[in-house]
Amino acid sequence: MNDMLTRRNLIFQAGKGFAGIALASMLQGAQHPMGKAKNVIYIFNHGGVSHVDTFDPKPTLARLSGETVPASFAEGLKTSRIDFRKAIMRGSPWPFQRQGQSGLEISTLFPHISKHADRIAVVRSCFGDAFDHAPAMFLRCTGSQFPGRPSVGSWVSYGLGSENKNLPSFVVMSDGAMKSGAGAYGAGYLPATFQGTVFRAGKSPVLNLATPDGVNPEAQKETIGFVNDLNRRHFASREEDSTLDARIKSYELAYRMQAEAPGAVDLTSESEATRKLYGIDEPLTADFGRKCLLARRLVERGVRFVQLFFGTNLGDDWDDAHNDLLGSHNKMSKKSDQPIGALLTDLQARGLLDSTLVVWNSEFGRTPLAEGKNGRDHHPYGFSMWMAGAGIHGGKALGATDEFGLRAVEQPKTIHDVNATILRLIGIDHLKLTWRYQSRDQRLTDVHGENEFTDWLLKA
Amino acid sequence: MRGMLPFLSLLLCAVTGYSATPAEAVTLLRARCHQCHSAATRMGNLSLTSTAEVLAAKDRILSALAYTGKIKMPPTGKLTDAEAGTLKTWISEGATWAELQRSTTQQPTHWSFKPPLRPQTPSTIDAFLTAKLAAKGLTLAKEADRLTLIRRATFDLHGLPPTHAEIDAFLNDKAPDAYPKLIERLLAHPRYGEQWGKHWLDLVRYGDTSGFEQDPYLLYAWRFRDYVIQSFNADKPYDRFIKEQIAGDELYPEDPESQQGTGYFTVGTNRDMLYKVEDINRIEQLTDFVDTTSSVFLGLTMGCARCHDHKFDPLPQRDYYRLQAIFAPFQKTRVFLHYNNARGYDLSENTRTFKLYETGAQLSAILDPHRTRLRNARLAKLPPEVGVAFRTPDEQKTPEQKALFEMHTKAVEPRDDEVYAQLTPQENEQLHKIERRLISMYRTYAPGPFSPGLTDVGREAPRTYLTNGEEVGPGFPTALGGGDIPQPPADSPTTLRRKALAEWIASDRNPLTARVMVNRIWQYHFGRGIVSTPSDFGTRAEGPSHPELLDWLATEFVSRKWSIKEMHRLIMNSAAYRQTSKPSPKALEADPDNTLLSHFTRRRLEAEEVRDAVLLAAGTLNTKAGGRPVVPPLATEELYGMSQPIANAWVVTEDAAEHNRRSVYMISRRNFRMPLLEAFDRPEGVLSCSRRDSSTTAPQSLSLLNGKFTVTQSEALSKRLQAASDPVQEAWTSVFGRNPEPAERQRTEAFLATQTQHLGSRTAALTELARALFNTNEFLYVE
Repeated sequence: MNDMLTRRNLIFQAGKGFAGIALASMLQGAQHPMGKAKNVIYIFNHGGVSHVDTFDPKPTLARLSGETVPASFAEGLKTSRIDFRKAIMRGSPWPFQRQGQSGLEISTLFPHISKHADRIAVVRSCFGDAFDHAPAMFLRCTGSQFPGRPSVGSWVSYGLGSENKNLPSFVVMSDGAMKSGAGAYGAGYLPATFQGTVFRAGKSPVLNLATPDGVNPEAQKETIGFVNDLNRRHFASREEDSTLDARIKSYELAYRMQAEAPGAVDLTSESEATRKLYGIDEPLTADFGRKCLLARRLVERGVRFVQLFFGTNLGDDWDDAHNDLLGSHNKMSKKSDQPIGALLTDLQARGLLDSTLVVWNSEFGRTPLAEGKNGRDHHPYGFSMWMAGAGIHGGKALGATDEFGLRAVEQPKTIHDVNATILRLIGIDHLKLTWRYQSRDQRLTDVHGENEFTDWLLKA
Repeated sequence: MRGMLPFLSLLLCAVTGYSATPAEAVTLLRARCHQCHSAATRMGNLSLTSTAEVLAAKDRILSALAYTGKIKMPPTGKLTDAEAGTLKTWISEGATWAELQRSTTQQPTHWSFKPPLRPQTPSTIDAFLTAKLAAKGLTLAKEADRLTLIRRATFDLHGLPPTHAEIDAFLNDKAPDAYPKLIERLLAHPRYGEQWGKHWLDLVRYGDTSGFEQDPYLLYAWRFRDYVIQSFNADKPYDRFIKEQIAGDELYPEDPESQQGTGYFTVGTNRDMLYKVEDINRIEQLTDFVDTTSSVFLGLTMGCARCHDHKFDPLPQRDYYRLQAIFAPFQKTRVFLHYNNARGYDLSENTRTFKLYETGAQLSAILDPHRTRLRNARLAKLPPEVGVAFRTPDEQKTPEQKALFEMHTKAVEPRDDEVYAQLTPQENEQLHKIERRLISMYRTYAPGPFSPGLTDVGREAPRTYLTNGEEVGPGFPTALGGGDIPQPPADSPTTLRRKALAEWIASDRNPLTARVMVNRIWQYHFGRGIVSTPSDFGTRAEGPSHPELLDWLATEFVSRKWSIKEMHRLIMNSAAYRQTSKPSPKALEADPDNTLLSHFTRRRLEAEEVRDAVLLAAGTLNTKAGGRPVVPPLATEELYGMSQPIANAWVVTEDAAEHNRRSVYMISRRNFRMPLLEAFDRPEGVLSCSRRDSSTTAPQSLSLLNGKFTVTQSEALSKRLQAASDPVQEAWTSVFGRNPEPAERQRTEAFLATQTQHLGSRTAALTELARALFNTNEFLYVE
C-alpha cells in the first residue's frame, strides 16, 4: 500500500497523469461480482428526514395514533427531547401510494422521485446509535461518531483517483451551515488532497479561484509567469527535488482550474428544457435544482464523487420537524423532489445512470412518536435511505422496521454495510481499501461492513 | 500466496528431521512467545507456560507457526525452519517442560521495550551517521552557506525567517563561534516557545472549541496553550513537563502553575455540552486519554487493544483497561491561578448575574408596552386570522398559523430602533441610566484567573471492566514490566493513579519515554525521525534507521536532565545539521530517500510558518505573546461550513493590531480551520498529530495567489517598496533576505514595467511584485 501511495501522491501532487492508473483493479475482490459504476452523487439530507412519512409506510402507527407504544418497544430508546415511554404515536399526515410497475410505496411528499420508483432501491432498515446531529453526521459520512476520520468521498477519491486533472475528484456543495462542520467531508488522516472541495454558487466556484479585485487577466497571467520564471531559476540548481517541480506544476494546474471550473458551473449552455426540468427558474427549487444540475455536469466531466448536503441553511432544514413536521417536510420535499427527480431523468437520458451511483441518505430518521404538538424528534434506531443507478434494479425495498417504525428488525444495516456496498458498486473491495494510521490498516468500514446486499441491489 | 504452498510442504517435510531438547524449546518459547502468551499477559486467552497449556493448544500453535492461516505467529516474523522444527518435534514428543520451570517475569524482546544501551566510548551524532554512510561509500555533505544556515536555524527554532539585520549581523560575525552563538540567541528568544509549543499542541490535539454541532468555546484553553509555550521557553525538564501534564494536581498540589499542565486532558474534543450522552462522552474521553497519552508519551498505539488483544504488539486488552482505570476517576476542574482573585471573580460574577436578571426585567418594563402597541397597530391592518396566529403561543400554533406567522413576522415585528423611537424623554433617561450601569458592570470584564485542569472525583474510583465483564485494576502494560498501582493512603484526596503513571512514564527506567521524545526532536529538525513513525514504536513500525544513535541520544537526554534545549544544541551544532541540502550524485543513487542523512532535507514551510513569514516580510507582524485567542477577519466566502451562526462562531477581535499576530495565537476552532492554514496542511486538531502532511495542491496555490490575506499583505509590503530608494533591492531583502542577482533585477524591472502598463500604476505593479514573491519556492522552502 505504501508504494502505491507514494506513487499516487506523486501523481496527484505533480498534477500530471491523473487518468490511467487502474488502481481500482488492485482493490477488487475476487469472490463477489463487483459493480462497475465510476461516479457517485451522494445526496445527504441534512437534519434528519422522517422515514415513516416518506419511504417506510406504517399503517399500524396511523391506526394507533394518539396511544403510547408497548413498554417493551420503548425500552432502550432515547433521544434528547422525548421520552419513548410517554410520547404518543403519530401516524403520517401524508398518504402512501404504490408507484411504478413495481408498486413500491412512497408517500405523496415526493411525486417526482416517485416517477422513478422502478429505478430506486430503498433500504428501510438503516440504524445507528447517535441521536445528535453532529455525531450522527460523522457516523453516516465517515463511519465513526467521532470527528477526525476520512469521509466516504475521501476514501473513494483516494481509491479511484480523478479522471479530470483540472477539477478536484471530490466536490461538495452545501449552503454553508453544516451541523457537523466541514469534518463530514474532511480527509481525516488521509492526505489533505483527498478532502472534499467545496463548490459555491457564482462565478468563483472554488475558494480563491477568482483573481484579486483590480487585477485584470493579463496582469494575473504576467504575475503567474513571473512566479514561474523565478521558480524555474530556483529549480535549475535543484533538479533532483521533484516536490519543487510539483509546486511549479501546481500553479499551472491552478491556472487551468481557473479556466475550466467556471465553465463547469456555467449553466447558460444548458437548454431551456433542462432548466425547466430541474426547476431552476422556480423560487423554491432554484437552489437545489442548480446544485443537482451541477452535479450532473461535474460527473460528466469526470469528477468522481459529488456530495450534495441538502438543507444546510440555518433554520431551513429537515430538522425544523422538531416543532413543525408538516411545514418542514412539505417545504423541504418541495425544494428537493423535483431537482432529484430531474437528476435521475437527466442521467438516464444521457446514458450516465448506469455508471453513476445516486445515494439518498440522511443522518437519521425521525421519531414515529410525537414531539410536542406537531413535531418529531431525531430517530437513529430505524430509518430509510435509497440508492439508484450503478446498474441497480430498483422498485424494491430491503429490510423493515417494526410495526411502529421504531427499530430496524429485518436485515438491519449499519452505515458500514452501506459503505461496503457503495464501494463494491464502484468496484472497490472495502476490505482492501486501507490506509496505515496508528499502526493499523484503517478502513472506511473499520472492522465491520457486509456488502452482500449488493447482490440484491443488482439482481433483476 | 498460492505459490507458497509447495514451498511450505517442503518445509514441513524437512523439519521432521530435527531433534529437540526441552531446554531449547522452552528457551525459544520464552524468546518468541511469552511476551504475549505468559500467565500474566494471556493474549488471545493463551498462556504457554506449562506442558498442559502447550498440549491443549497444540493445533493452534502448529497452525499459527505454519504462517498460512489467518493467524500467523510470531507476528514479528516467521520462525526459521530449524526453530519451527524444534517446537514441532518437542510438542509431538509430549512437550515435557525443561528445568527452566515456569517463569513470571519475561524479558522484553522488542527493541524499544528494552532499555537504551549506552555506548562504552564517548561518541557524537556525526560519528554515528558517518559510520552508516561510510558503509555505502558516502560521507556527510559539505557545510551549507551562512545565509542558508541562519534561515534554516531561525525557521527551525522560531518558525520565522531571520530579519535582514539578523542576517547581516551573522554574515559579518567572523568569530569562530558565530554559529553556536546564533543557536544560543535563538534558543533564548521567546519566539522559540511559540514554534516548539506549536509542535506539542499538535501532539496533544489542542483546540479552542470542543467540536460537534454546538462547537462551544473552551473558554480557558488558551491558558494551557500559553503554559506549553512558556514551558518550552523555560526549558522545563521534560520529565517535569510530563508529570505536570499527567498529574500536576496530585504531584504539586500547592503549585497552580504546575497544575496548569493537566489542561492537557481538557483541550481535546468532547460532547460536554450535549445532554443525555454523558455516558458515551465519558467513555470517548477515557478512550482519548488512553490513546493520546500512550501515543504521545510512549509511542504506543494502544487503540487496537480497546476491543481485543493487540494483534501485533504484546498489548493485551487487559493492559488497555488497566491504563483506562488510571483515568476512570477523572473530573474536569478549574485551576485557581490566584486563590483570592479567583474567589473574588466568582463572587462578582455571581452578583452581576443576579443583578442582570433584574436589569432584564426593567428593560422589558420600559420597552415591551411600546413593542406590543406597535405590533398591534400593524396587525390591525391585516386580516384577523394573522392577529390570531401572532397571539397564539408558539407551541399551540397550527401549521397554517405558523405559516402566517412566518410570512408576516418581518413586516409586523417592530425592530429595536422603531421601539426606541417611541420612548418618552423620561423613558429615554431611564434607559440611559441602565445603559451606564451595564457599562460600569462590564467595563473591566475579562477572563478570570483560571486555567482548565483535571483532578479525581475523590479517593474512590468507578470500577473498570474488560469487555467480557471481568474487573481490572489500574496498572501498567505488562510488556513494559507491568506493575499494579496500589490503593492510596486513607487520607488521600485523590486516587493517586495518575501520579503513579506520571512517575512511571517520566522515569529514566522507562525504555520508551526518552527515546520517543528525542526522536520527535530529531524529526522536527531533520524532517524525519530516526524512527519514521514518531508515535509508534511498536513491532509493526519500521525499526530505527540508526538504533545506536537513538539510544545514545536517549541516554544523553536523560543525563542532561531531560533538557530539550540541550538536545537542540547537540543536534544543531552537529555537522549533519549544518550540511547543504544539495545531494551529491552518488548520494542520490545510494541514499535516494536520505534516510542516512547524506544531505539536509529541504522542507516546505508549515501552514503557520507560511502565514507568519508573510507577515514578517510585509512588516506587519505583531509579536505580542499569549492571551485570548485572536479571531482575524475573513472574507465572507471563506467563512464556510460553520455549524453555528457566524455572528457567534466568528467573533472578530476588536483590536485590528491583534489580527496580525502569530498563527499559534489565532483561534483554533474544531469545526473550522482558517482556509489558508487548512490548505497548507494544518491538522484538524481532533486526533493527535505527530507528523504533518506536506502536500502540494492546486487549492494551496490558489489560496496563496488570490486569497485576501496575500492581497492585504502584498499591499502592505508594496507601501514599503514604494518608499524605498531601490524597491527591487528592498523586495529581495524583505522576502528572501538576500540581494537580487543582476539577472533577477533585470527580469523584475521588466515585470514591473509590464504590470505598470497592465494595471495603470507603479503602486499596483509593486503590489503584484510582492504577491509574486510570496508565491515563490525560494520563499516557501527551507534549504
